[in-house]
Amino acid sequence: MQQSWLLIVASFFFGLLIAVTNAALSPRIRQNEINKRNRMVTVLLPEAKDFILMDEQVEIQSLQGKKEKVEIYKVMSAADECVGWSFEAAGSGFADKIKLVIAIDKHFEKIAGIDIISSNETPGFGDQIKNDYYRDQFNGAPAGDLKLVTIGERSQIDSEIVAISGATISSEAVVEIVSNSVTQVKEQMLKKGIMGNDK
Amino acid sequence: MDTLNILLMSFISIVIVNNLVFTKFLGICPYLGVSGRIDMAFGMGMAVTFVVTLSGTMTWMIDNWILMKLGLEVTRYVCFILVIAGAVQLVEMYLRKFFPSLYDSFGIFLPLITTNCAILGLCLFINLWGINSLLEAVVLSFGAGIGFTMAICIMAGIRENLNLADVPECLKGAPITLITAGLLAMAFMGFAGMIR
Amino acid sequence: MTNSNAKTARYWQTLLAGLWRENPVFRLLLGMCPTLAVTAAVKPALTMGCCVIFVLICSNIIVSLMRNLLKPHLRILMFTLTIATFVTIADLFLKAFVPRMSEMLGPYVPLIIVNCIIICRAEACASKNGLAVSIIDALGMGIGFTLTLCVLAGVREILSTGALFEIQIIRLGSQGGWFVPWAAMSMPVGAFITLGLMLGLVNMVGKKKT
Repeated sequence: MQQSWLLIVASFFFGLLIAVTNAALSPRIRQNEINKRNRMVTVLLPEAKDFILMDEQVEIQSLQGKKEKVEIYKVMSAADECVGWSFEAAGSGFADKIKLVIAIDKHFEKIAGIDIISSNETPGFGDQIKNDYYRDQFNGAPAGDLKLVTIGERSQIDSEIVAISGATISSEAVVEIVSNSVTQVKEQMLKKGIMGNDK
Repeated sequence: MDTLNILLMSFISIVIVNNLVFTKFLGICPYLGVSGRIDMAFGMGMAVTFVVTLSGTMTWMIDNWILMKLGLEVTRYVCFILVIAGAVQLVEMYLRKFFPSLYDSFGIFLPLITTNCAILGLCLFINLWGINSLLEAVVLSFGAGIGFTMAICIMAGIRENLNLADVPECLKGAPITLITAGLLAMAFMGFAGMIR
Repeated sequence: MTNSNAKTARYWQTLLAGLWRENPVFRLLLGMCPTLAVTAAVKPALTMGCCVIFVLICSNIIVSLMRNLLKPHLRILMFTLTIATFVTIADLFLKAFVPRMSEMLGPYVPLIIVNCIIICRAEACASKNGLAVSIIDALGMGIGFTLTLCVLAGVREILSTGALFEIQIIRLGSQGGWFVPWAAMSMPVGAFITLGLMLGLVNMVGKKKT
């Protein structure tokens, strides 16, 4: 068609525009993503300075039964010592998907802490999973199966996590995501010998 | 058996729990304009289901098999909208040739569907949710269409009755439809947390 | 002299039309989807509004420059291609410079492509008028859209968190004040009902004038 020359020229011009913008901005975009995750883990593991992505891919089964790949980061301090491990986990909450970042201590015995990357829970209720009083219960909790309870002492750090009143489903979702991923990642890391060489 | 379970859960979740109209605000424009009568609403819904299943599948295939392999993710939006426009044209031509009666009943809805946020929105959500299997993408797309059809038919039913009610002058038309949609959204909130 | 005066008057008219008389959301009922989705708080609403202004102006410029070369059956395709390109560019800028907003807006930024406002203005105005009028029309519509979004977002944000632009205005009960936030306002319910009531209000004001 004779009229399609305009289409071809326009496509070429637009493609060029997109390519140029992308080339100019993509390093910045990548840096933003890395910064965000690092910022979160640094709060949970204060001596964190560097993050090394482990080469071995760990595969776990999500709560819905799907097989998912997990990227595990080895967290190094300024003195180049391993201070812990961190990885992301996700699952469905009350409203939408909840994405967490979990930081574990270097021997994979205790959870250093969790942070919510993204969630869409009910404001004022499920949204409180982002608050310190709920998340602090995970600081120092054993890296294994965690249980949700509705009544308990929040300041007591053990494998029981006290739910947020009025937001049982959101609280339970977080506990299940953490339990499921931490137990499986620990199992897989031991199996693949990733943990044998920390320090 | 496991796969069937996952697919069934995904289907129910997108039809009821994460309904595109009431929780994700997609497809509002035709929703307001078309939901006057139930038969028109059903026709629109069916047309949307048809197109969205086709587009969802095709965009998933292009995204996972071509764009990601070649690292061209930045052209994602352009590719998606072109695929959707193409799919609508394809559906239109196919229907006109093989099912002319169906084509007539869809009427003007078919070309209008290209600018329906629900279609592009669904393709983007499938991308956002990281769906890894083709079968799941197909089921989700089909479910989204069914969810939209259900939402628009409920709305049409209510609107038919609203015509006989005593609505204040300034609220007639779009405002009262939106308020009704709000109440429906609140009702659908009851389904949240059903699927985990 | 009078020619340029008439031109300026026409430019003013075009600009103001987008703000009230032909306000895209309240009058023309276009672009509802992003209106409901991003108006939970003022910051995302403002970001979305700026994106729409950017895309509107750029696409109107290109379409106006191309208007004599367009053949009828390729028109919509060309519009869509243009708009998709500029939305991609806007999205890249958002991801690079305001990543938090980009996450909050999520998939609604690429949905600007199917936002009826932009295609309608390209069709109704840019493909028929010169460069200057197209730019001003884009500006007027864009500013009208942004203002509408901000008003809606303002109402919803104040009622759901007591804050405006993340600055606390009314003190919540949990902070020692009196206000109990209306959580429903940040959910789809509040979006639909607020927009419906505002539309009713605008209709009422509009009827009173005529």
